[in-house]
Amino acid sequence: MESALAFSDTLALGAAPQSLARLVGTGKIYGTGETAVAALSDATLDIRAGEVTLIEGPSGSGKTTLISILGLLLKPTSGEVWLEGQNVAGFGERQLPGLRARNFGFVFQGFNLFPALTALENVAMAIQMKDPRAKDPRGEAKRLLELVDLSPRAHHLPADLSGGQKQRVAIARALGGNPPILVGDEPTAALDTKTALSVMELLRELASSHGRAVVVVTHDPRLERFADRVVRVEDGRISSIEGKVS
Amino acid sequence: MWTLARKLLLHDRLRFAVAIAGVSVSVMLVLVQVGLYFGFMDTASSIIDASSADLWVGKSGSESFEFAAPFDERAYYKVASVPGVKRAERVLINFAQFKLGTGGDLGVQIVGIDHVPGEPPMLAPWNVIAGDPSRLPEAGAIVIDKSEYAKLKIDTVGTQTEISGVHAQVVALTQGIRSFTTSPIVFTDLRSARSYLRGLGDDAVTYVLVKCEPGVSPALVKARINAIPHLSAYTTSEMSQRTRMYWSTRTGVGAGFFTTAVLGIIVGFVVVGQILYSGTLQYLREYGTLKAMGAKNSAVVRVILSQAMISAALGMVIGSVLAVGMKSAMAHANLSVALFPGLYVATLFITIAMCSLASLLSIVKVLRLDPASVFKG
Repeated sequence: MESALAFSDTLALGAAPQSLARLVGTGKIYGTGETAVAALSDATLDIRAGEVTLIEGPSGSGKTTLISILGLLLKPTSGEVWLEGQNVAGFGERQLPGLRARNFGFVFQGFNLFPALTALENVAMAIQMKDPRAKDPRGEAKRLLELVDLSPRAHHLPADLSGGQKQRVAIARALGGNPPILVGDEPTAALDTKTALSVMELLRELASSHGRAVVVVTHDPRLERFADRVVRVEDGRISSIEGKVS
Repeated sequence: MWTLARKLLLHDRLRFAVAIAGVSVSVMLVLVQVGLYFGFMDTASSIIDASSADLWVGKSGSESFEFAAPFDERAYYKVASVPGVKRAERVLINFAQFKLGTGGDLGVQIVGIDHVPGEPPMLAPWNVIAGDPSRLPEAGAIVIDKSEYAKLKIDTVGTQTEISGVHAQVVALTQGIRSFTTSPIVFTDLRSARSYLRGLGDDAVTYVLVKCEPGVSPALVKARINAIPHLSAYTTSEMSQRTRMYWSTRTGVGAGFFTTAVLGIIVGFVVVGQILYSGTLQYLREYGTLKAMGAKNSAVVRVILSQAMISAALGMVIGSVLAVGMKSAMAHANLSVALFPGLYVATLFITIAMCSLASLLSIVKVLRLDPASVFKG
């Protein structure tokens, strides 16, 4: 958690939120010619340390395309993606896994935990897969499970955990390797209200106290109270950004 | 990687058991079929391999060890007088009718050995378990194998019988000397053999065994003997190989055993491939999540390959144990399964290759897995 503390220190000193990633005029068109479909057009968005950004919009509006491009899982057909001080939009498949490992953690609606591995093993294995040279993946996994208040359940299989606990394991896994940006794809959709709110509180805490940038795609307006900014996407365009303005 | 691979395999124990059963049966089939082949080949060349001769000399054009055409004794003297030949011994091999202990007759393979006083013969019965084989030069003395009791109905030293109507007496018993032709082998002295095989003539010889002078190359002596018309000389290892190849190619036994072994490999390949592939499909979202978070393709591929290697290793161990059990069971039916270290090593490599190839479909699936797919529902 060394670099996470560094982010916190920056915030504590009262500096302006640090931009970790930026989309500039980004677009994505699927297909060519008459069958071409614009999934995203001219999207410009700044992702900042210490902030929770909610991305809302109806199904098919382009939310998934937006976070896929942001998370370097999808190449844009136009525009720029700035990360680590460089435009990485044109980077090849050889460079992208390393960039993703250093910068992103992902949390999904379906948790996507290996059912055969305990909570601790799921987190430790992800750390090792991201960085085969990681010195103490189990030790780091223990610290991360402690961070998400799941130490007592560290040796339980996912089948023995509640939905909220599974999502906390998934968050701990996403934090493995200490990436500055957490991207959540409807991480609370499969959870009851109380659990969903506690998960969002955790994500809020990770942004506020540990300086992470948290980007969450959601349909749930009740989560807006945890957000610093709410980005609305409609018909492949960012229609509004509400909240703090840098 | 190993921990993840092992846990993913063990998570669905039934599927894992099917995979291991597939590999184990495959390993067992390869070991037993190839072992049987080598066992048969060892049997086919056992008499040649047991001799201490440097060279075997036979009539040119004879392809089969057992069915070699005899020649007369003049050839023996010609061979014995070749420079570099220290000692030459005659061997007469052919088939005769053996009177069974329970009545009736059975075709046996007579191996008549030349006994030179004061010299140990270059070919003699081995694995002797009872009696005195040194009595073999006595008229009518024979040595038979105890494992042929089911055919000969004789398993006692001293038993008297007849071969081609001529008196014979068992002076010793061996264990495990059998012929590829399934006719029991009967060792006897050359003179006794000639009396049992009167139809071949009084001075018939099938092979001349040659011991070379110390320091003289057998290859040189072989070349000199080959210059004698109608005779062909082979080193003992060449003779052994020739006999093995004859039975392997002429009877199709080699193709038969190896086809079954290959079928075993195909069965193992299909079972392991299917199990690994269905396991990969089951965890596709999890693999996709790891790739999304920056895990390299090589790391995910290692997990799948590790599963294949675990299956190979376990299947090898269980399959080998099964093969040893089969060998023991087949020994009761007088079938020899030759399991030797080289065969185990070769089978291990085949199993590793089989499981690695079987994992290819899974590997391709993971390599083609778009990490963005984890965002799609």
